[in-house]
Amino acid sequence: MKKIVLTAAALAAVTLSSCGNRNQDISVKPDGSLDPCTLRFSWWGGDDRHEAALRALELWSERYPDITVIPEYGGWDGWTEKTAAQLSGGTAPDLMQINFDWLISMPKGGDAFYDLYSIPERIDISGYDSEVLSFGEMEGALRAVTISVSGRTLFYNSEVYDSLGAEYPETWDELIALGSSFSGKGAYPLDLDIQSGGTAWYLAVVYVQQTTGRQFMTMDGELGFSAEDIKLALDFYRRLEDERVIRTIQSRTDEDGNAALYQSPEFIDGTVAGVLEWGSSVGKYEMVLPEGVLEAGPLLTDGESTDGWMIKPSLMYAVSAQTQYPDEAAQLLDFFINDPDCAAIMGTTRGIPASSYAQAALEEKGLLTGLAMESDELLGGADTIMVSPYMELTRIKEYCNEAIEKVSYGQTDTGAAAEELYNSIQGYLEKIRK
Amino acid sequence: MKSNIKYTNPVGVSRYTGLLLILPFIIGSLVLTMYPFAASFIFGMTDSRSGEMVFTGLGNYRSLLSDPDFIDSALVTLKYAAILVPLKLAVSLFIALLLSIELRGIGVWRTIFYIPSILGSGLAVMIMWQFLFTSGGLVNQLLVLCGLSPVSWYGDSRYSIYIIVLLRLWESGSAMLIFLNALKGIPREYYEAAKVDGCGNIRGFFRITLPLIRNAVFLNLVLQTISALQEFSAPYMLTGGGPMKSTYTVGMLIYNEMFRFGDTGYANAVSWGLFVVITAAVAVLFRLTGRLSEEI
Repeated sequence: MKKIVLTAAALAAVTLSSCGNRNQDISVKPDGSLDPCTLRFSWWGGDDRHEAALRALELWSERYPDITVIPEYGGWDGWTEKTAAQLSGGTAPDLMQINFDWLISMPKGGDAFYDLYSIPERIDISGYDSEVLSFGEMEGALRAVTISVSGRTLFYNSEVYDSLGAEYPETWDELIALGSSFSGKGAYPLDLDIQSGGTAWYLAVVYVQQTTGRQFMTMDGELGFSAEDIKLALDFYRRLEDERVIRTIQSRTDEDGNAALYQSPEFIDGTVAGVLEWGSSVGKYEMVLPEGVLEAGPLLTDGESTDGWMIKPSLMYAVSAQTQYPDEAAQLLDFFINDPDCAAIMGTTRGIPASSYAQAALEEKGLLTGLAMESDELLGGADTIMVSPYMELTRIKEYCNEAIEKVSYGQTDTGAAAEELYNSIQGYLEKIRK
Repeated sequence: MKSNIKYTNPVGVSRYTGLLLILPFIIGSLVLTMYPFAASFIFGMTDSRSGEMVFTGLGNYRSLLSDPDFIDSALVTLKYAAILVPLKLAVSLFIALLLSIELRGIGVWRTIFYIPSILGSGLAVMIMWQFLFTSGGLVNQLLVLCGLSPVSWYGDSRYSIYIIVLLRLWESGSAMLIFLNALKGIPREYYEAAKVDGCGNIRGFFRITLPLIRNAVFLNLVLQTISALQEFSAPYMLTGGGPMKSTYTVGMLIYNEMFRFGDTGYANAVSWGLFVVITAAVAVLFRLTGRLSEEI
């Protein structure tokens, strides 16, 4: 028995100590030179982004033939999990496109990423507004650089709206009124989801923020909504379903299965004629429709103000803290954020660039156009709120999506669902803040 | 005739030769199975959500008993196994009986029936299943053609589990092969003698075939039960665990806790919860089938 206890203790010691080692900072220090090497660069997105990034990498290989870049790309679903596993297992790519909330939600949080302030000669951050730059700063270190700042806005299938003689809605009431005119034709003016996008909860939050003036969640992770505010959000969602503005979750799941909206026949054939999407990611919806058919619609208001709509650093670049080639990875990062030729190739596939150098290059070539730009301008003219990274946490999104699903399936009323959601979010925030 | 060839043992013969020969397996088993197995129990006693690994004792294991997510997902998993395993055994045995008939070109048919098992539940299969089971899919079109009402396969929590069951039934190749192998081991004389005594096909199946392949039945029963209780990829790809968590298996819970929510400690504790469920299920099967074989 004593031997078994000793063996178990030794095993525990080895296991826990090996975990401890993984958590240590194993960063290689920058040496100031660009040496021949092979880098890995990962991103998620739609085909438009993939095609542009691959063309940009061809340009990179002409400029830096000794530094080979292996691209790793795919769709959004499962990407967070994949990156979390890579960061935990020490196999993360050298350069990564990351999400804002990953700075707090990934294993080791911001420490998973290289401090870019330690490689000043490779990255030119002079083209950045100090506030935009601060999104990637953590305790004096620059863990990520913002690619673009954007928010979710509404985009509509103009052919369907024209054929029904409908105008793009400007107020919440106009949106709800569209349900009846579309339902006669078996179509829907908008689509909201509870999958990885979580647009159902997002739009409900915008509505409540505009109505009450309270922010759903603060930047430091305090829940700003009361249980009554959450009920208001769920009631709003329920009304959208009842008025046939959107499909119920059951009919949506029945029609699309587990597929993303832009891959579903209902979106492609116009049965679903609207989508709420990030300006930086709308390209994948644009690509599956005939050119020029998808158009940006106005921000919905209560008739008075456009408050409540949100923005965030929609995408960021970060270098893995475990990279063996910090100088080279930082050079690649600089190429993607600042190089004018690269910017011209990338266009607005990652949103309107936050770097003034890239923006100037796009402007000079007349490329600051398209849906991403229109979305950016709409948000630029509104009194927007910064999305809290805590709102983006997977567990929080899961709680919100579950509440919406229960309400949609009629498993619970909005009051009980709001109470449960409020308690779940509060409990979780308290736990992670400890 | 006596052979002139002399066989020599390249490693020599000593008391350690046997040990040396099985050493790769022992090392592989210790490093790749036993160490992760034991380490996962220890990880289950930690909390690493803050970025630092903190020892929390048996807290995660105690939480399992009161966690509605674990209890609900365990019930979904048991329900899924209870539906799938008997169906899969029946279907694969039926196919194996058909494929055991010696006909020209039967090898081609055996290959055709095995192919779905190789495909797994990848993207192509997911897309195919969507074409089959979404509201406008082929299955519903056929139901309407037959005068029946379409079924809300993906959207109704009463039916969604059957999408996954049907996928796994379609992939019955491995179980079918085990049955086929057992069936081929039954001497034809038994059937011929029984026929002379007036025994029909159905009676022959229950009196000769089933008793003689009972080991294969038991093997398939255990393997398929374990496989069903570990189900992850099919609900992950096809339904995402929904609707209303009706296909949210323990495998999905482990994945979500580990990779989506970053709760490594709890994910490992849930893995051990699943291990206990599987061990209990297999123990029950051993006990039940032991009694059955005695009765046969």
